[in-house]
Amino acid sequence: MAPPRIVIGLFGIDQHEVGAIAVARLLRDAGMEVIYAGRYQTPAKLVRLIEDEDADVVGISCHSWEYLDYAPELIKALAASGLDCPLILGGSVITPADAEAMRGAGVAAVFGPDAMPEGIVRDIRALAEARQNRRHPS
Amino acid sequence: MTETSRSGIPLKPFYAAADRSAAPAEEAPGAYPFTRGRLRPASAGAGWIHRELSGEGDARRSNQQLRYLIGLGQSGVDVIGDAPTQSMMDADHPLVAHSVGTQGVSLCLESDHVALLEGIAIDRISVSSSVPALFSLSGLLAAAGQTGVAADRLRGSVIQAPLYVGDAAYSCGMPVALMSRISVDTIEYCARHLPRFHGYVEDTYFFSESGLDAVEEMALGFVQIRHLVRAVMARGVAVDAFAPRIAILVNCSMDFFEEIAKIRATRRLFARMMREEFGASDPRALSCVITSHTSGLTLTAQQPINNVVRGTVQGLALALAGVQAMEISAFDEGLRTPSEEAHLVALRTQQILAAETGVTKVADPLGGSHFIESLTDEMERRIRAKIDEIEAKGDAVALAEAGYFRRLFEEAAERHVKAIAEGRNRVVGVNQHQVPPEEDKLLRDVAERKIAPCRERIDELKRFRKARGGDGLRRSLRAVHATAKERTANLLPSVREAFAAGASMGEIAGALRLAYDTPYDPHGALSAPF
Repeated sequence: MAPPRIVIGLFGIDQHEVGAIAVARLLRDAGMEVIYAGRYQTPAKLVRLIEDEDADVVGISCHSWEYLDYAPELIKALAASGLDCPLILGGSVITPADAEAMRGAGVAAVFGPDAMPEGIVRDIRALAEARQNRRHPS
Repeated sequence: MTETSRSGIPLKPFYAAADRSAAPAEEAPGAYPFTRGRLRPASAGAGWIHRELSGEGDARRSNQQLRYLIGLGQSGVDVIGDAPTQSMMDADHPLVAHSVGTQGVSLCLESDHVALLEGIAIDRISVSSSVPALFSLSGLLAAAGQTGVAADRLRGSVIQAPLYVGDAAYSCGMPVALMSRISVDTIEYCARHLPRFHGYVEDTYFFSESGLDAVEEMALGFVQIRHLVRAVMARGVAVDAFAPRIAILVNCSMDFFEEIAKIRATRRLFARMMREEFGASDPRALSCVITSHTSGLTLTAQQPINNVVRGTVQGLALALAGVQAMEISAFDEGLRTPSEEAHLVALRTQQILAAETGVTKVADPLGGSHFIESLTDEMERRIRAKIDEIEAKGDAVALAEAGYFRRLFEEAAERHVKAIAEGRNRVVGVNQHQVPPEEDKLLRDVAERKIAPCRERIDELKRFRKARGGDGLRRSLRAVHATAKERTANLLPSVREAFAAGASMGEIAGALRLAYDTPYDPHGALSAPF
């Protein structure tokens, strides 16, 4: 199996990049290919990037509440473009109730403030492998 | 195993007189080099200015917030803009629709600043602002003009970190040279027109929240101050004329004694640097005002009530260190800018420390402690060595443009996350003494309450743009652009005029960017209106 390809970014003008950078390095250290999109991402920009990079998973670090609007918009935009790329969210601002609502809206996984590195790596790898299997069934 | 401080200073099980690096000099608070405090003991009992970070929704709503806090006994105000405002973007920029007014106040126009300060006694209440300096200062002056308060009576400060803010917090899409020039201009302008106002508060708080240790925090702070002092002196302003109006806003994490030693060492370093390297002689130019925020990074989304305890301990450290102003980060910090309830608790924490503990009665109560004095000496030595190490690498603006500081912030962030994940940095409720989420209830409902984006601002601003006059506006923006092209002219007069003519912050910022050969809108969505 090819190494998982993960797009990491932040929505809108959420600029608290600490979490995004830390997760990007964590995934890179775990052998994944990280496409670090960084700040100022919109659903439209991410859809183009995910398509160009053939990403397996897109992960957004959330330190503002912009994700509440942008995450459902991104899921819709991915579906409209026919792209299969699970969206995951991470960040301490995501409350348990909002995590539940996001999963209901189609977010594949949510990592709150108590997420530990091993769990993040394991879950993202599983999502990426499942996506690769859907694309290239063995 | 040897214990170390948060910055990695090895610690002994106990300290004795022999651990002092030099024979302790008889030094009094209020005397050079001000290690023990910037004020004479007679005035040391004055305590500190109490203020709490404020701002949400539009200016009117934030004005209510400020009045609420003043009503509770707050003695200064501390304003933070929302993410667009901090990034010099207007509320109607297409990228920011979902964030208007959620993490601070939306301030796009001069009239917003005036509305924010309406009914607030700005001749008595000190106004500290994190909003980009050109605009917070122009807005404050507009409010003062409308209420008949002379500029020389204004107190307060503008918080800046021109070399680092784009990498550590909010990028304004401007070259570092322009950010740096804005700081130089505000320092020069305030030195000439606002003698009681701190035109430059070195914000080591914001950029150290990436996870820098205390030595790195202050070294980077001093590198920035030294860069600006040289630049303002090159403008022909005497160091004694502006140095008294430089203050430092420090962070305060949980390493109690190291933070106190850091502040004592900072005062001493500032005094020596100003006298020995920059030739200052006015005692006010040598004794640095220290303002402070307790660390948001140490606060946790888990068990938010524990943050009240963290804020209290950090606030006590700051009081013992003799700071001039304090803000205690509120218990909901892990999730949002402070709610009314969190504001109340944080302000009451300060008031309890000031009124009930007696900490303000004696200046520098820890002075003379073998441990504190040894740690102060060691912090001074290490901060100084780090300053020299960074300055040896080259010009600070060039280092910033080359991404040198950005790498430091990234490394610090990674180090911080790892230290918690690996349990080396023990955090109650995070890597020890956790409780399952369903049991983590106390204050959670308050901490998790959200602020909806203030979308009506967007339409309001669009309507304003349609209704305002065009010629004067375009002329004023062209004047900003022309002034910015002259690299040594002061930007404040033309920015104030454009703001008064109805130009928005985003438009003025765009005119400045164009003068520095960068796009009007860093996100490519808007075109210049002049």
